[in-house]
Amino acid sequence: MNTYYAANLLIFAGVDIIACLALNLQFGVSGVVNFSFIVFQAAGAYAAAVLSMPPDTAPDYSFQIYVGGYQLPFPLPWIGGAVAGGLLALPIGLVVLRRLRADYQAIALLVTSIIANTVINNARPVLNGAAGLVLVPQPLDGVVNTNTNSYQYLYIGLTAICVAIVWFVAARIVNSPYGRTLRAMRENELAASALGKNPTALKMVIFIVGGAIAGLSGAILVGFLQVWAPSTWLYPETIILFAAVIVGGRGNNVGAILGALLVPLGFEEVTRLLGRMNIGPPTLIPAVEWVCIGLLILGFLWFRPKGVVPEQRRVFPGAPAVEDETRWVVGKRAR
Amino acid sequence: MPGSEPMLGARDIHRHFEGMHAVDGVSIEVMPGRITGLIGPNGAGKSTYLAVLAGTLPASSGSIVFQGEDITRLPAYQRARRGLVRTFQLPSEFGQLTVLENLLVAAPDNRGESLLGALLGKRYWMPDETRLVAQARSLLKRFGLLPKESDYAAMLSGGQKRLVEIMRALMLRPRLLLLDEPMSGVHPSIVNEIAGYLEQLRDDGLTILMVEHELHMVDRLCDPVIVMAQGKVIGQGSMAALRRQPEVVEAYLVG
Amino acid sequence: MSLLIAAFGFGLVSMSVIALAAVGFTMQFGITNMINLAYGEVMIASAFVAYYLNQARVSVWIAMLGGAAFGAVFSFLINRFVYTPFQRKGTALLGMVIVSLAVSLMIANAMLPIVGYFSVAYRERFSHLLRFGEIALTVNQIIIIVLAVAVMLAVHALLRYTRLGKAMRATAANPMLARNCGIPTHRVIDAVWLITGSLCGLAGVVAALDSDTFTIASGATFLITALAAAVLGGAGQPYGAMIGAVIIGLVTELSAAVWSPDYKQVVAFAILVLVMVLRPQGLLAKRGALAAAG
Repeated sequence: MNTYYAANLLIFAGVDIIACLALNLQFGVSGVVNFSFIVFQAAGAYAAAVLSMPPDTAPDYSFQIYVGGYQLPFPLPWIGGAVAGGLLALPIGLVVLRRLRADYQAIALLVTSIIANTVINNARPVLNGAAGLVLVPQPLDGVVNTNTNSYQYLYIGLTAICVAIVWFVAARIVNSPYGRTLRAMRENELAASALGKNPTALKMVIFIVGGAIAGLSGAILVGFLQVWAPSTWLYPETIILFAAVIVGGRGNNVGAILGALLVPLGFEEVTRLLGRMNIGPPTLIPAVEWVCIGLLILGFLWFRPKGVVPEQRRVFPGAPAVEDETRWVVGKRAR
Repeated sequence: MPGSEPMLGARDIHRHFEGMHAVDGVSIEVMPGRITGLIGPNGAGKSTYLAVLAGTLPASSGSIVFQGEDITRLPAYQRARRGLVRTFQLPSEFGQLTVLENLLVAAPDNRGESLLGALLGKRYWMPDETRLVAQARSLLKRFGLLPKESDYAAMLSGGQKRLVEIMRALMLRPRLLLLDEPMSGVHPSIVNEIAGYLEQLRDDGLTILMVEHELHMVDRLCDPVIVMAQGKVIGQGSMAALRRQPEVVEAYLVG
Repeated sequence: MSLLIAAFGFGLVSMSVIALAAVGFTMQFGITNMINLAYGEVMIASAFVAYYLNQARVSVWIAMLGGAAFGAVFSFLINRFVYTPFQRKGTALLGMVIVSLAVSLMIANAMLPIVGYFSVAYRERFSHLLRFGEIALTVNQIIIIVLAVAVMLAVHALLRYTRLGKAMRATAANPMLARNCGIPTHRVIDAVWLITGSLCGLAGVVAALDSDTFTIASGATFLITALAAAVLGGAGQPYGAMIGAVIIGLVTELSAAVWSPDYKQVVAFAILVLVMVLRPQGLLAKRGALAAAG
């Protein structure tokens, strides 16, 4: 196994894990069906790219037309990617996250992602249209030699640090009273609001947090691939991630990681392996894979909707019961 | 403690939807420390009215004053935070949360409930959590559901789910509890149990407004009682007085 | 000004194509309360079936019927073997969206090895251009308009004057009540899927004919445009879908004339998102659109 292949595998794994953790926060835990998820990853990738690239007037870059070009050093482009993802959540969330039947909301978000893709595709001066951005500089390329094997290890290390940070945030959120409130809102939004929880605010915040994490995943990916075009972020990409979260286990961070390894990563590796074996025309294998993803989704929704690693049951040890409980029930309110 | 100031005053509430007047100019007052009943035939608009009071549905016109504050424009979650809490006619437990978690969600003063609090970790919010777990468990013990604390709420029987919803509402320390048919779909043996709890809560000083169909429950628990039919109030007073009113008997009471 | 009038002419064609798709789509929603995201793929699959017939020297106007038949059977099977079992299992509305999305992906990709990514067209794609003042339409386009009007009248007649039509309306309004009144709702639902499936297939061939060339990727566009018209008119309301089609057909063509043809579809998509978010019940309000959590 050569270094580049290992780097490819591990970095894609890291990116997929980060993306699935974000989607799990939005969909698995909070019930926000963000069918426009891939747009947030794309926003992060584009942001990181235009922050790290030289301006489009520069000699090697003049065949592309794009905004930005600030040539910022690492880690600013990656931070910028996360910020872009979080900021994008604001307009999209304000428009779509209202009391609407869940399937309408999902479809509105899906169509929004298609609109975004079509617009960027056609609006050439903004992000170089259909051709996309190429020659995106790699992080730290002014500081270290990016053509060595050790750079690959460095990149893997940077990705791993990001995975650790995202895991920390996701774990803290899910295993807290805040996470419990999100789950309650997922189970029954009306009952949650009747208990004093503001569902719009809760959804908006998790939309922003998930969006920022998705943006970070995009920044990591674009720094590695060094290219990014509308064809990279079509709406079916979101569906792969949804399949991952459903298969792995909705609401469970470990399930999200498992799903990321099984579905997006697993399928990519299978494509690579089967591709080498030259079975049938080149369009056959991806097509078969997509059919399998569809079957996987239907299969899990039918037989095991909770996924491979379901949400864990929370049990509280200790803490004896308070004796005279009537006083605090009907007494003066704390607020 | 029963007093002379109404806890809740709703004036001339209208609610139309798709051309129908579900609530057609209904004014009521709920006095503290009592269980007020809201009865009427099917389609009278009782549940709609409760939803308007709670803020789940907006009033088409009219005003609602709760503890001296005009809450007509407030969304449901803000009314709940001020002490006006409702339960639902259809089972509304958080199914994939345990019974204990259902109660804990309701508790309003938990530092771990904000994003920042969550990120600061267990050491930050564990004291609040421990305290609330103790409170929740005392409620569970009182209502006899302590052994079920770690069961998923979806697995409970209809009557048990009702109890969980009531306990959940109590965790908010409500001033006025709006109950929407708390006995509906409940096994007859549990109905008495629930009635007993409601009486205890009233004796502790809790104010309740209750929509209910089971007339012997209404007899036992409610005073006063408001009767609605076709979106309007057609009578108020004690059950005994209402039984003597011909319009009420004709519209609703059978025998 | 003449640009606008010409755009109006194109709008007539657009609205005809959209109406054919949207009416079937909205009736599926009305009867099952689910949004069938596989609709676009069934349209394009039927278009390809007609294409192969067309290649075998069958006139596109006859092949259209083949496409409609294929659409009818395919839609019926999808509902019978996928949607209904999931609904019976108690799958929530959102779950059904994911199910239909998965089905649409499977159909598109199952077709891929057969049809490839190539752009294809029917043999009759070029036809004589006729002028009516400022409006220039081809013979094909005029036939499409006439066809659409005929189908709309047929749908109207079906719903208004036939027993099946009344049973369909009753079942869509209140399935339990309909069943209690002795209507065999299972058979009505089957009939609805066959009829709307044939509309779907027909619409697919017409849309493919109108768009000059088509590929496997056209399915998503067909779906969202039909969805936009259906939601705009009021989901589940056939007459609403017709009104929605008129509006979207005109607005998209006018925007193409006045602004840019690249964004024609985006305009339709944007209308869909705005309607869903601002007025989900559409123009002819009905139950179901607003039913959020309770």
